[in-house]
Formats: sequence, structure tokens, C-alpha cells
Amino acid sequence: MSDFDAVPGLVEVNDAHGETTIVVEREHLAGAAAHLRDEHGFNFLSDITAVDYLGWGDAGVSGYIGTPAGRDLNTPMTQGYQALPQAKPKRFAMNYHLLALRERPRRVRLQTWVGEDEAVATVIGVWPTADFHEREAFDMMGIGIDGHPNLKRILLDDDWDGHPLRKDYPLGGEPVRFSDAV
Amino acid sequence: MAAVTQPRNRRPIYEHSRIPQPTPSVLTTSEELRATGDIMTVNFGPNHPSTHGVLRLIVDLYGEDVTGLEAVVGYLHTGFEKNMEQKTWWKCITYPERIDYVSFQNNEYVFVAAVEKLLALEIPAKATWMRTLLCELNRIHSHLVWLGTSALELGAISMFWYAFRERDLVLDLFELVTGERMHTRYFQVGGLAEDIPRGFYPEARKFCEWMPKAIDDYETLLTRNKIWLERTQGIGLLSADDAIALGQSGPVLRGSGVDWDIRKDEPYLAYHQVDFRVPVYPEGDVYARYRVHMDEMRESVRIVDQCLDRLEDMEGEPWIADDRKVVLPPREELHTSMESLIHHFKIVTEGFRVPEGEAYVAIESPRGELGCYICSDGGPKPWRVKFRAPSFVALEAAATMMQGALIADMIAAVGSLDTVMGEVDR
Amino acid sequence: MALDGKRLRDLGLKSERLLMPTKGPSNFEEEVNDLERKLGLTTLEKAVAWAQTNSMWPDTFGLACCAIEMMSIVASRYDIARFGMEPFRGSPRQADLLIVSGRVSHKMAAPLRQIYDQMLEPKWVIAMGACASSGGMFNNYAIVQSVDKIVPVDIYVPGCPPRPEQLIEGIVRLHEAVKAGVPPAYELRSVAK
Repeated sequence: MSDFDAVPGLVEVNDAHGETTIVVEREHLAGAAAHLRDEHGFNFLSDITAVDYLGWGDAGVSGYIGTPAGRDLNTPMTQGYQALPQAKPKRFAMNYHLLALRERPRRVRLQTWVGEDEAVATVIGVWPTADFHEREAFDMMGIGIDGHPNLKRILLDDDWDGHPLRKDYPLGGEPVRFSDAV
Repeated sequence: MAAVTQPRNRRPIYEHSRIPQPTPSVLTTSEELRATGDIMTVNFGPNHPSTHGVLRLIVDLYGEDVTGLEAVVGYLHTGFEKNMEQKTWWKCITYPERIDYVSFQNNEYVFVAAVEKLLALEIPAKATWMRTLLCELNRIHSHLVWLGTSALELGAISMFWYAFRERDLVLDLFELVTGERMHTRYFQVGGLAEDIPRGFYPEARKFCEWMPKAIDDYETLLTRNKIWLERTQGIGLLSADDAIALGQSGPVLRGSGVDWDIRKDEPYLAYHQVDFRVPVYPEGDVYARYRVHMDEMRESVRIVDQCLDRLEDMEGEPWIADDRKVVLPPREELHTSMESLIHHFKIVTEGFRVPEGEAYVAIESPRGELGCYICSDGGPKPWRVKFRAPSFVALEAAATMMQGALIADMIAAVGSLDTVMGEVDR
Repeated sequence: MALDGKRLRDLGLKSERLLMPTKGPSNFEEEVNDLERKLGLTTLEKAVAWAQTNSMWPDTFGLACCAIEMMSIVASRYDIARFGMEPFRGSPRQADLLIVSGRVSHKMAAPLRQIYDQMLEPKWVIAMGACASSGGMFNNYAIVQSVDKIVPVDIYVPGCPPRPEQLIEGIVRLHEAVKAGVPPAYELRSVAK
């Protein structure tokens, strides 16, 4: 249970802020999902989150340094150094938040990196609840899902152009008096 | 719970999975029925008095039997997540409230909790207890709105007025504490926005004394009412395995016999220090979910009572964390301390910075597991915010529940899922 | 019956709250009472306006958070049955007033216009809340920035969400405007650009 070495396609296991993230390769996603459900008891899929990392680290971060391990009040300010966040392997990340719903519950995040025109396999066969979540990831981020039986837009109009949550999609709306302010 | 009359159509929850294939959330009419030519496709909504908000259901009817069902959502899509990426962390807090607009403080809390997780902030005890109290009052509020509207749809029209009478009492308490009836924006990263005003504790005690009697009134009207039993028992069945496979949580899951409540199993806030029961009913029908809701209201009143006991001893304690990099300094200090002035300026204009990382926090909202995923790049604005809405997932179960049901049952079943469309569409 | 360049004040609209802080019957009521007492007569337009005002049935068009506050004006504390508006009609054919309560997304814009078109004249629209009045805090790709781009609006009620008393104030001002003879918005203006 605490050892995820047998997960197919495993790249690494991260631990931060009390959360475990299992990173797998995109091609082995379906196998990893089934393995986690059957061998480790993660029978409940909470959420599927797609994240777009286009432009990650472009705006240099200065001020006090944040680290994955949390804030250290004793660490002084940057004093002129800028620390850029760690670069990401591909543009998109698909995060599957899993829960082992049992006496001693356990939460884990299954993460896989997806490039510009790549698609992920569906996990509907493992957790049927993935239906709506995968449609939303497709609708909002444009990540293709292979094998989804009903892949259409869910939150936007069927004939909408573009994928709004991508970083290169504008916010939209109308310019108002203080539009330029934060 | 002994029913006064034995309903005729009561049956045990089913054996094998009833999740439709190939698409779990769409019930499709079989080919033989289609070939008869007697199928009528009807559109429910998005503007319909009985759908909770703007939900559109495309239903195939064979006489009165529902043979096909598809939920079309997105009529309230607001682009919360994209909007929040453009605002500083502090200004973002107003947005999550409007996602699930009936249990607004739970939404506020889940976002603030995720940010505090990344910041590794220590929250003072007074803020923790007050947050618990407000979240439980919100649970009562949400269940009252659910009760009033669901009963109204099934024909128990007077329940609406009774439930909303108490709802106004809860909103009076919110107004006393925060100044605003709904969408209170009272939770801040680090604690509460302001101290608890004088006069709140006696009013809250009065409410806690009155509320159990009001819940007794509701139960007298509905729990053993023959018509209510006929319309809700055996309707909208969902077995425990199907519920877990479909990602259900909250009253839907507990009404199917699964004992899972994040407040007990993965405690947050002050829930591990209060004593309360988690109601679980095994029948898996609309009536079981109704009983779960009613019992949860009673337990929430008990939790509020216990929170008041603890809070009354905490007069004069701090209500927000002391970390000046994240929390505004008290205004008196701005006259004397240069660092406070600078911190105030930086927090208000640029915003405080949250360390790089990602976090997922899940709490038990009145509808189920409400989760917030945030990804920070170390800057003053979020990189990505995602809300896991329990109602979004609950609509996936509508197709499974409506197998072999009548059109009138659909109102009861979809109502019992307690969906709020703001959450579904975000 | 257009406004012909007159101000509302010239048509007889005197908002009690602005001009007469002391309680008393409004100008309209005093006039009608006077006439009725002396001659037992009233003009047909005033009588029709009085009837329209006192039983203006709203349509169930609750979209988001404002809908919850709209439901609370039906409830017993802020009772709009006092104004004759308690029956919220499910069918737009039977409704007079469309209270757009909540944020209108682009997907919902078409059903909104369809519901408005299905209502029979005379019909009034109240834009309840910040999102219906101007797009509110959601200045983005998904929300229509003010519902008056889709339907002509009579009264805008600000707030997020407006208190029930605020909404009732908006409704009462609408009633006063109707009694003063102000035509519904579709005769005065078209939708905004």
C-alpha cells in the first residue's frame, strides 16, 4: 500500500504537503489505473483535473522563495535572487485524484504528462464516474480522450470554438473602466 | 424507523450493477422499443419549475416509463476557474462562494483550506471553531433549501414555507456575524475576516433551542405521511457498489448504506473534537436520502451547540493567524510600524505569494465531497484552480437511478440527488 | 404610448421614498380616492394599470444565487403575496413578469430569449442582481454582460445577491411606474448592443 513500485509505467513518486503523487507514462495510464484499483484498493475516483503549463515560469518569481516542502518563516527574502519554478516535461498534466474508501482511507494523485496533440486513454472502464470529468477535460482543455463513448462538449455550446481554460485563450468579456488593473 | 404503512413497491437494492453501458451517464432506449414507434422524446428544461436550476434532461418516454435519459448541462457555465486565474489569492475568495450558492461557506472554506495547506499556515483555535460552526449552519441552510424545494416539487407545498421560515433564521445569524445574508466572504486565508460580534452567542443558542422543534415539525408532516412514502420509497434505487463506482458521496452515498463521511473519516477543522453521529440508511432510495438529510440537520444543531460551548470561552483570542506576510496587520499598527505599513501595501496591491506546488483538499459539503485543487507557481495569482463539485458527479447517477422508473419518479429521484447547477457548471 | 420626451416626473411618477418621507397615500391613490368619492368614476387606463400591477405574476426563471433570494420573497417573512405576486407560473404564457435572477451564460441566452418571446404582452423584465444587470463579477467569455443585450429590461436591481427587501423595492418601483403610465420596456427601447 505504501509501495507503488509495481505500478505499470511508473516514472516517479513525489511526496509534498502530505500528498502522494504517482507519475506514470501516458501510454500506461489505463494499466496503472486498473492496477491501483485492484491491487491497492483505490476504488473511488474523486476528480480528474487537467492543467495547462504553457508559460510556466515565464513571469519570474521574486519575493520570498516558496518550496514544495512548505514555507519556512526563518528563511529571509530573496535579496535580489529570482527563483524560477521547476520546468515541466510537457504542456498538459492530467491529474486523477483517487481515494481508497475503506476503514483506513488513503488519497493519492495519479499524474501523467500529455503533449500538445497527444491523447490519453479513458479510465471509464475502471471508474465509470470518469465519464463527465473526461468530457470536461476535453471541453475545457482540448485533451483528447481515446475510447470515451460519448466525447462531446459538456459545459459549453456544442459549436463553441476553442478550449477556454488553455493559457492562450483570452479571458474574454468587455473592457470596463479598470480592466487594466489587477 | 417503522413505517406506518408498508409500501407496495418496496424491494431490496438490486444485485448486479445497473450502470448503463457503454456510457455510464446516458440511458439509451433499447432497439425493440424504438422499433415500436411509440417512443416520445421530451425535453425537460432548462427552464422548468422542478429541475433545481438550469438542468436540461432529454427523456425518452414509452407511455409513462422512462426508457432513455440524458442530462445536458452547461447552462450556467460561468468560467470561474478562468476568472480566478486572473485575480490575486485574496480576491479569489469571493468566487468560490458563488459556485455552490446554497452552501457558500463550505466552498469558501475548501478554497481557503487548500491555500493554507500550501502556505502551511497555523490557524488559531477560535477561527477553527467558528469556521466549524458556520459550516454546520450552512449545512442546515442547504438542507432546508433542499427540503423546501424537493417537497414542493412532490406536492408537499406547505413544506416550502416551513423550511424557509427556519432558513431566514439561519440567514439572520449569518447577517449578524458577517453583515451579509448569503455569500458572506467571511473566511480569510489564515482565519476569519473579523472578530465575532457581541450578541451572536445568545442568538445562536436561541436558534439551537428552536431548531430541533422545527425539525420535529417537518418530520411530523412528511416522515410517516402515506403519500410521501408512496412517492419516495423504492424510487431512484442506487446500490452501494454502483454508488462508489459512480463517485457518489454525501447523502446519496450514505443513503445507499455506505458509512463514509469525510468529517469522521478524514477529519478537518474541529470535527474530531465534536461528538456527532453519521446517519446511514441501507435502502438506497429517495426515502433513505430524505432520512439522511433530516438526521444530518439534527446532528448539525448538536455540533453548533458544542461549538458555541467552546467559543464562549475564547473571548479575546485572535481570530486570524499572525503571519504578516499573508494576513493584513491590525490597523492600529499602521500608524507606528513601518514594516506593517509595507506589508499592508504589498498584500493589498500585489497580493501575498503562495509557494509553488499543488494541493487537493476535500471536505464534506452538504452535497458530498467538495474538493479544491490548486496549483501555484509561487506567484500572487493562482495558476490553476479546479473545484470537484459533488452535484456534477451526482448527475452521472441519474441514468442509473432511472432504470425502470416512471416519469413522476424522475422528479423525486433527481431532486433527491440535491444538485445545485452552479456547482455542476462552474 | 411613447414617452414623447417627457420625464417620468411629468407623467406623475413621484417616488414616495424620495419626495414624501412621511407616510401617506401616494398621489395616485389620493387622486383615485378623490374621484371615486366624488363621482364614482376612474379612467380606464388607470384602472387597467392598477389591475395589472396588483396581480403581476412572475415566471419561474431562477438561474443561480439570486434565485434563492427570489424564493425567499415568496416565503413567509418577505411575503410578496401581499402584492399579488405569489403564483410563480411555470409557463411563460401565463406570466407577466420575468425576473432574470442569476448569471446568464451564452448557452442560456437562447432559452432566455425564447421564454421572453413566449410571454404575452404586456410583459415586464426585472434584471435582478449584479450578474443580470451588468455581468457582475464575471467579466469573461462565458457570461453575457448584462441581460439587456438579450431582452429589454424595465428595472435593474443591484446586489450580489440583493436582499429580499431590495428586490421588493424594485418590484414596488415597477408597480409605481406602471401605475404612472410608463410603458413596458419593449415599447421604449430595443436591446443593448
